[in-house]
Amino acid sequence: MKRLCFLCTMLLAVAILFTACGTTGTTGTKGTSDTPGTAAPDGKSAAQGKPSEKVEVKLSTWAGSEEAAELQEIIDRLNKSSDTYIITQDSNPADYETRLTTQLSGNAGPDLFWVSASRGAQFAARGVMLDITDRLSKSGKPAANLDDYYDSAFGPFKVNGKIYALPWIMQPVVLYVNQDALDKAGVVIDENWNWDRFMEAAKKLTMDKNGKSLGESGFDKNNIVQWGFTLNGWPPVQMFIWQAGGEVIAEDFSSSPIDTPEALMGFNFYRELLDSGVVPSQQTIRDRGFDQMFRDGQVAMFMGGAADSLDTKVENFKCVVREVPAGPTGIKATFVDLLGMGINSKTKYPDVAFEALVDLAEEIHKWKVMPPRKSIGSAENMQSLHPERKDAFPAIVNSLEYSRPYRFYQDYPDWDTVFWNQLMDPIVNNNGKPEELVPKVKPLLDEALK
Amino acid sequence: MERYLATFGRWLLVPVCLFILGLGLYYLMRILRWDKQQATGLALISPWLFGFIGFTAIPIFYSLYLSFTDFSLFGKEKWVGFGNYIKLFTNDIEFWPSVRITLSYAVFTLPVGVFGSLLVALLINREIRGIRIFRTILYLTAILPDTAVAIIWRQLFNGESGLINFFLSLFGVNKIDWFGNPKYVLPAFVIISVWGIFGTNTIIFLAALKDVSKALYEAAEIDGAGGFKRFIHITIPQISSVILVQVVMSLIGSMQMFTVAQFLRPTTQAGLFMNQLVYTRGFTQLHMGEASAIAWVLFVIILVLTLLVFRTSPAWVHYETEVKDVKGIKNVR
Repeated sequence: MKRLCFLCTMLLAVAILFTACGTTGTTGTKGTSDTPGTAAPDGKSAAQGKPSEKVEVKLSTWAGSEEAAELQEIIDRLNKSSDTYIITQDSNPADYETRLTTQLSGNAGPDLFWVSASRGAQFAARGVMLDITDRLSKSGKPAANLDDYYDSAFGPFKVNGKIYALPWIMQPVVLYVNQDALDKAGVVIDENWNWDRFMEAAKKLTMDKNGKSLGESGFDKNNIVQWGFTLNGWPPVQMFIWQAGGEVIAEDFSSSPIDTPEALMGFNFYRELLDSGVVPSQQTIRDRGFDQMFRDGQVAMFMGGAADSLDTKVENFKCVVREVPAGPTGIKATFVDLLGMGINSKTKYPDVAFEALVDLAEEIHKWKVMPPRKSIGSAENMQSLHPERKDAFPAIVNSLEYSRPYRFYQDYPDWDTVFWNQLMDPIVNNNGKPEELVPKVKPLLDEALK
Repeated sequence: MERYLATFGRWLLVPVCLFILGLGLYYLMRILRWDKQQATGLALISPWLFGFIGFTAIPIFYSLYLSFTDFSLFGKEKWVGFGNYIKLFTNDIEFWPSVRITLSYAVFTLPVGVFGSLLVALLINREIRGIRIFRTILYLTAILPDTAVAIIWRQLFNGESGLINFFLSLFGVNKIDWFGNPKYVLPAFVIISVWGIFGTNTIIFLAALKDVSKALYEAAEIDGAGGFKRFIHITIPQISSVILVQVVMSLIGSMQMFTVAQFLRPTTQAGLFMNQLVYTRGFTQLHMGEASAIAWVLFVIILVLTLLVFRTSPAWVHYETEVKDVKGIKNVR
């Protein structure tokens, strides 16, 4: 009897084992298909050009519920029109990067995934993402046309001339302004909008409860009801350094020139903004919320990403989008955040995944503000795609022209950790002055680049 | 349905495989002439044993190996010998501040945690009307997730509308920027640790207090001992073994501070707790070799401190099974 039980258990276990092993891996297919990873670069099998049935392509994103629902509509359309793939979305914003990194490290990653610029540079250099350079050049689809992309769009996703991901959004930092407050204070933003004018405007817009501006006699600094601007490490100091003509990482990645007069000018302007009274204290920002203060009318000018869409979200006042000020010598520069989508280098169906990637990128480019492509990203086209933001696009499109991402490289977080923890955190929290900190931190940053 | 069955099959595979392994282990032990009871016992604990080996023991030793490599989560790791440790001790600007804040936090929170929860346990050990409701309310703090606790404390430390600054302002203290000024970060976390005194530690102390024989108190009372003397000479010695456990567990817990600090994100000038540094190095910077080395340094620090506590314990811990002779030398019954 015991032996019979044992035998039955063994048979059951073996049966389950075979059942379970029937569909394993990250990508499943609904029928016969190519040998994994051996299909031709155009996504076609040797015999028919495509797997005989649709292949499941798993997509991981950090989209929240609303964004995921919008993305699902796009995916549904693509799945309906494609006869090679079915994209299944797995969106989970909670600790996305750690989760994705762990999955990929454990060979259990999705076929396609959204990736930030910093993580993209790390993944590209470590062979985590598939090299899509050849496939892009052979594809005739619009989203694969590299000439159509802005020059800086591939920066983080390119290693040694090879491309590892397609960017799907370029978000330049723009200036959201409370137009009602500007009108009241008599501030006009025109083509001469530079640091001096910006500081002057910020002072005029910093008002106490009696309606007096910063600098006016009788101004009560203990009862400010509206600040001109806000900073808490965001927007990044890099854009002010670029506006002054400086850099934080040399083009050849050999050093961090943060001690040049131009870079110091950028740091000092940042510090000046923090010290001049036009910016709330860091404690006040922490207590009341960074962008919330702008939404509540407690801050008159706010620098945010173009996709933040505050101009459509704020209801208490007229919010408009303007370009950030130029530097003292007229140099225009702003930071641009890049997000991309890559293919897992260990996917079983690289060609089908590539086809899904390009199709999905094309659709997302039409969905998001701003697409990294010139043909879609013109002000007129964006106005027709997003009529609710038609007044914002001239400033956004102009900003994109001179926007720059950080100089990402495979160990960029090492450099960034030193830059933020040793330099920017003390500057922002008023625990150190740029001229004292820069000479101490520069060798550390140079070391991080080695 | 097809996908569900496949997932269900894989899920079912785990207990079945564990059962088969347990059964195999049983027969193996029987072949090796183990007693039937012993073999059954081993077979029954085998699921836990395999889980422990697979998910705890092997990863622990693997992380030790990784600490001697340049593993970056992807690709083949390269052996670097003591390179990661040498870098940590000689050339890592974040490591020593991290050790400093972690140890300082442990030093300050340990007495607060142990003696605070003992005091609370003494309070709720009194047999008064409705005491069970009080005990339940106090224990509620232990079942709240750390992130919820962090949100509550963030509100309490709020510079403008927080209760703590309001309370301090009554004594003429200016508003303190608790998480922006590195001077106040450690005190803020120590204050937050007070939260822990109402949780599991209190319940354990309460159980220990309930276990102290009433006859001892009565005898002491007849001898004229007051409340404080009874506490010092009866309560403390009687629960000293529980205090030892609490000291060790609180020490380990305080050295592993992570969630609340990660959520509150104070100025980095105060230093990151060691567990935060492990996380940052491993998952943000992708230097898993360095992260493993930091984790092992943390382990060694905890081990040394725990051994120190154990070494001092014969001087202050009293076990019921031991008696002292006239010279004060301990003998175990």
